[in-house]
Amino acid sequence: MKPCITSFGILLLVVLSVLNTTGQTHGTLKFTLIHTANGKPVELNTTTYNTPNGEEYTIKKLRYYFSNFKFPDNPTLEDADNYQLIDQARSTSFSIPVLPGKYTHIEWLLGIDSLRHCSGAQEGALDPMNDMFWTWNTGYVVFKLDGTSTSSTADRNRIEHHIGGFRFGQNVSTLLSFELPNDRPLEITAGKTTEITLHLNLDRYWKSKETILIAREPVCTVPDALARKIASNFPYLFEIEDIKVHEN
Amino acid sequence: MKINARIAYTGALFLVVLCGAGLMKPTPRTLKVPEGWPAPNKNLFSKNPLTEEGFQLGRKLFHDGNLSKDGYVSCASCHQQFAGFSTFDHDVSHGVNNTFTTRNAPTLANMAWHSAFHWDGGVNHIEVQAVSPITAHNEMGETLENVIAKLNADSSYPPLFKAAFGNETINSQRLLKALAQYTGSLVSANSKYDKVKRGEAVFSNVEQKGYEIFKAHCATCHKEPLFTDLTYRNNGLPLNRFNDVGRMAITGKKEDSLKFKVPTLRNIQVSYPYMHDGSIFSIPQVIDHYSGGIQKDQYTLDPVLKNGIAITQRQKYELMYFLFTLTDSTFLKDPAYGMPTY
Repeated sequence: MKPCITSFGILLLVVLSVLNTTGQTHGTLKFTLIHTANGKPVELNTTTYNTPNGEEYTIKKLRYYFSNFKFPDNPTLEDADNYQLIDQARSTSFSIPVLPGKYTHIEWLLGIDSLRHCSGAQEGALDPMNDMFWTWNTGYVVFKLDGTSTSSTADRNRIEHHIGGFRFGQNVSTLLSFELPNDRPLEITAGKTTEITLHLNLDRYWKSKETILIAREPVCTVPDALARKIASNFPYLFEIEDIKVHEN
Repeated sequence: MKINARIAYTGALFLVVLCGAGLMKPTPRTLKVPEGWPAPNKNLFSKNPLTEEGFQLGRKLFHDGNLSKDGYVSCASCHQQFAGFSTFDHDVSHGVNNTFTTRNAPTLANMAWHSAFHWDGGVNHIEVQAVSPITAHNEMGETLENVIAKLNADSSYPPLFKAAFGNETINSQRLLKALAQYTGSLVSANSKYDKVKRGEAVFSNVEQKGYEIFKAHCATCHKEPLFTDLTYRNNGLPLNRFNDVGRMAITGKKEDSLKFKVPTLRNIQVSYPYMHDGSIFSIPQVIDHYSGGIQKDQYTLDPVLKNGIAITQRQKYELMYFLFTLTDSTFLKDPAYGMPTY
């Protein structure tokens, strides 16, 4: 009996110590988002921008989800449980733990996978209190751009772009995929923070694959064909501006 | 019965107090699946283990007017137990500030067998259903932030959340999961119809004839034992004054225009008026609609209704007497589902 207890105790210690060190075996990947429009940093309410289509506008809300970070160099590393809400008004950076290594390929979802859309009440970034949740037709707004424009024919010249939809034929969540040069990979080191600076250029929201005219499409608040059209610009919104390792 | 109920209350209260003191883990609760019924929706409680404490918390929340902006409108205001958890004698329901809803409050029974909610099936999980009525301007008109602040300010709640979820944190997820434990536990399976099926009672002559008519003309959509096949169908009502196109608003598909979820017929005797907009007041009038009132020019009209339902005046009343056997008085009066006393 006694040796049994002793060996169980040793096993427990081993398990605990392994659990204890997993935190330190990871490095931190910090995402910092820079939002610009018309070449200027995005400031809510106060600044007027021009779209590439020549329409003036201001921005009141800018929010979107990132999720499902994957590192195809090491397919075992996916962390499907990581959901991040980036909000110009509250937080434009976040960090995720990543196993050390050199990665030449990183991808994630601009949006939220359909499975999580169907999984009941959520918390954290997905809490319905974050004002990114549709109640009447379950689903998340995965990209929200609210503002005003003299071109808008909607009530109070508003722009309300609440882009969402996850069902077959309605999906707007978009895989963002970045390949890095072999000689400049994303390097994650245990206990250190690697910062990736991403640039969201709203000009491309209005004009890349599709041309979105505020005069024509000031409001999009249902998961319909217009939402899909706007989302077809999603793959062109972001680019990596910088990657650096912090000596902390 | 009354003494039993009191003992049950005291017992429940005792459990809650014990859990509040951190002495006990939540007591598992099982959903009773009536014999011969299909399996309930397996996703319903998969991430929300049903417990006695969770159910009791949900039951209290369901009956609490503080979930609404004016403090008066609770879930139970529009889902009244004695009316099969629908709004008794109202075509549409009342929201805060003298507002009206645009649809008839559906009955709540056997929700554990459903996988989509609302007349149009727009809500895909029972846990997120309650966000709609709580925040709708013409229902409870409140924000989740305010509800949580009010629950935190009410000293009775933190211990109940602790008993159900392990600590006193009150957040939207716990609020919604507790409500889902209560609404998902509402099982109605003790009507005369159920007793006949179990061999504990027999139909009268008239009821039996009505049952045969039901099986011949109604059971395709109102499938036993739930008395709904949970599909969306156009039953030939005109487009109403709210221009409510039903399922099409959710799917965006033309072929879903004017389709609504087939409602259960359980407790139909007490859940009048009927239809998604409460536009038909009585059971004979409902049957008249199917025999002669269907709008046959609608291209999404359900194929089974293309020719209407041929029925004689006598059969109409036989059918009605069968439908009365779906009244589950045990369910309608069960104190375990009623307003809690603590």
